[in-house]
Amino acid sequence: MQIVIIGNGVAGIEAALAVREREPEWPITLVSEESDHFFSRTALMWVFSGQMSHRDIEPLERDAYARLGFKRVRARATGVDVGAKQVLLAGGHAPIAYDRLLITCGSRPRPGPWPGSDHRGVGHFVTLQDLSWYEREVHGEAGRGGDPPRAEAHLSASSDDSPYRFREVSSARRGSVARQPAVIGGGLIGIEAIEVAVAAALRPHFFIREEWFWPIALDPREATWISGRLAEHGVQVHLQHDVESIEADSDGNVCAIQTDQGTYETDCVVIAIGVMPNTQWLADSSLAIDSRGGIVVDEGLQTSAPDVFAAGDCAAVRWFDGTERPEQLWYTARDQGRVAGRRLLGDAARYDRGIWYNSAKLMDVEYTTVGLVNWNVEREQNWFLEEIGRVRSTTRIVLQDDRVVGFNLLGRRWDHSVLVRWLEQRRRLDWVLRHLHEAAFDTEFVPPLRIPKPGPRLDGPAPNPMIPGPTKVPF
Amino acid sequence: MDQQGQNGLLSTYREGWRTRSWLGIAISVSLILFYVVLYWEHKVEEFFGTTPLTAASEAVGLRNRWYLYGFLYSVAIIGGAIYYLRRHGNSRYNRFRISVNVVIQVALGFSLPFIMPLFGGKEFYFSYFWPLKYDYLYPQTLADLPLYLALYTIVGSLIAAPILAVLYGKRWYCSWICGCGGLANTFGDPWRHLTSKSTKSWRFEQISIHIVLFIAIATTFLIGLDWLIGKDHPTFHRIVAGNDWRDWSVKSFYGFAVGAVLAGVIGTGLYPLLGPRVWCRNFCPMAAILGWVQKVGRYRIRVKPDMCISCGNCSTYCEMGIDVRSYAQSNESFTRASCVGCGMCAHMCPRGVLKLENSWQVADDKDRQNLSVVNF
Repeated sequence: MQIVIIGNGVAGIEAALAVREREPEWPITLVSEESDHFFSRTALMWVFSGQMSHRDIEPLERDAYARLGFKRVRARATGVDVGAKQVLLAGGHAPIAYDRLLITCGSRPRPGPWPGSDHRGVGHFVTLQDLSWYEREVHGEAGRGGDPPRAEAHLSASSDDSPYRFREVSSARRGSVARQPAVIGGGLIGIEAIEVAVAAALRPHFFIREEWFWPIALDPREATWISGRLAEHGVQVHLQHDVESIEADSDGNVCAIQTDQGTYETDCVVIAIGVMPNTQWLADSSLAIDSRGGIVVDEGLQTSAPDVFAAGDCAAVRWFDGTERPEQLWYTARDQGRVAGRRLLGDAARYDRGIWYNSAKLMDVEYTTVGLVNWNVEREQNWFLEEIGRVRSTTRIVLQDDRVVGFNLLGRRWDHSVLVRWLEQRRRLDWVLRHLHEAAFDTEFVPPLRIPKPGPRLDGPAPNPMIPGPTKVPF
Repeated sequence: MDQQGQNGLLSTYREGWRTRSWLGIAISVSLILFYVVLYWEHKVEEFFGTTPLTAASEAVGLRNRWYLYGFLYSVAIIGGAIYYLRRHGNSRYNRFRISVNVVIQVALGFSLPFIMPLFGGKEFYFSYFWPLKYDYLYPQTLADLPLYLALYTIVGSLIAAPILAVLYGKRWYCSWICGCGGLANTFGDPWRHLTSKSTKSWRFEQISIHIVLFIAIATTFLIGLDWLIGKDHPTFHRIVAGNDWRDWSVKSFYGFAVGAVLAGVIGTGLYPLLGPRVWCRNFCPMAAILGWVQKVGRYRIRVKPDMCISCGNCSTYCEMGIDVRSYAQSNESFTRASCVGCGMCAHMCPRGVLKLENSWQVADDKDRQNLSVVNF
């Protein structure tokens, strides 16, 4: 049984490991344009700052491919011939025949829609090649951990529209590293690009279109805290700024950002306005692709073609609310990869996401969210507690009628799996508050959260400008 | 303000002296030279006609070079603690632990042993136990100690240390009390990311640490036997204990190979190349015993299920070379014999996935989706 996996990320590797665990003899080929080694994309920021090396962000030992018999091809896939059961490759590589194919080609950065988005000195922070570019703009060189091995091996089998091309570095052209970087887009990648610039002792501009930072996840009170932390670290936060264009000097290097509120000088711009499925190469391959670019899959992650599966960021999976769209998270990609691995083995398996949860770290503030937060739930009420003392935290519990439907938690550590269980059990607020300490996951010696009596009053809804219309509770 | 997790990003791989560059090698060579002179100053005297450390200790009014070593050791721990707390002091666990390290070193590792002889006593290190302090169970050592100290060392080494490790893991000793651990976690902290995480290094550690443990127990046993029958068997006595401290014997071999070379020259000298726990991880016989006890005790690193992003901060900054990430991404709470409970994995984790805990109850955190965990 010839297994071919397009992509060397967490979904692809997880599936390959699952197949190998049961089938020691099946040939497994991984096609990867970006990298020789599976690495954690979530960790690019630490390679940038020097907190980790490229080797450190690779979860497997480098001999794992040889040891497990995974064949690697460093090339761009250009299409799938579902009739002949072949994967087509760029760079004169012969097509690879498959019996079962898994597509885990992930996301690519959403390009800037503004004039000048492709100037020298404008880039993203999503791929290894983006990291290489941004490191060189700000630090002038890679860290002492060096670049990943065979960093340029794919260039002979790539294409101009590939997200894995190296960008030209404006600091090299200019002869001086960037002193005034700017980041456009108030989301998670944006704040990571900001944090690494702060770690390099810079005071970056942070352009955010919305009224407050990350409105899809935070309410104004929570976002105010984060914006304050950003400002304390020297970040110039510009809320409600609509970028209009990006300007370059006579040499073609980026020099300014024009917004509806004014012009800001800059010498390096990171556009972080989200990611989208990396699926343009499938346009002619007769696989069903949805309007957002996600590969249409069924519950078992099978695409519209027989023996072809998709998992991870590129697959439009069914969410807890019944919608079908890509789920751009690390651990769901891993879960999907495990399901896809079972499908490659010929088992019946289905991907079932369950209640939404996520976590993040916003500068030095940890964030956990579970359930329906900022979803404009019908008859929503919020219980909000701000703790300012030894530990600073906010605790927001979202209610529909008298049942808890969501948690938004900043500054403390919580075991989301306990909170998920409470949502499934449809607990009331008073019960949740009595038991809240059972979900605490603080490190040792951290004083526990004390809930004052009487507790805070319930607020009305915190309407989310990102999600129009009320949401029905699906659980 | 207290925060959990790292406050600001580290620039480890952008600092030359913290990577295996010529600067790291230079620091390592200097440390090794220092230890060679410290342990074999009589040889230095033979060849060069000088005793630099003894001269230095007399110059600063310390009785001999070992007190000078204790003084420098304390300075290194204090300096390292300041460095450490500037980077990781926002975590209460780290702050408390490093403060205890400093207090123990200054009070029990230097001051008390220095003061005791002034009052006619014998110097005694309350913070060290057998088999790390290998001569503290030698019959002659016990016989020379006052009764309360003899009882302290016997009860401490054989009863209290293992019981505390059952209750709290080996960390109560290796990360809070022990001077070797104290030095590793302060002065050695800049190089903690250099400990190898490879499977090969794990295999090596499992073999080497148990060889040293065996030699430690065998040496103690032979020296006990020599105390009983040595007078009647001069050849046996010669082989086990020697007639003069310069004789090669079982006793002096252990002191040379384990006490000086493995714990000092290699254990500390290689900090800038192999990370700060070379001795603790690969050779310390006390760590071997406490590691076994830890495996059956309450201590574990608890993993929050399905939240790990595989970033590798935990593994990178594990000074014992444990691939914490491999457990975290498998949703597996775990206890590794080598884990000294420094808490750095939990501190570095950007998603709050890890938590050190002492509890008999195993947390109910099996894979939520009932999918098999892939493990090789």
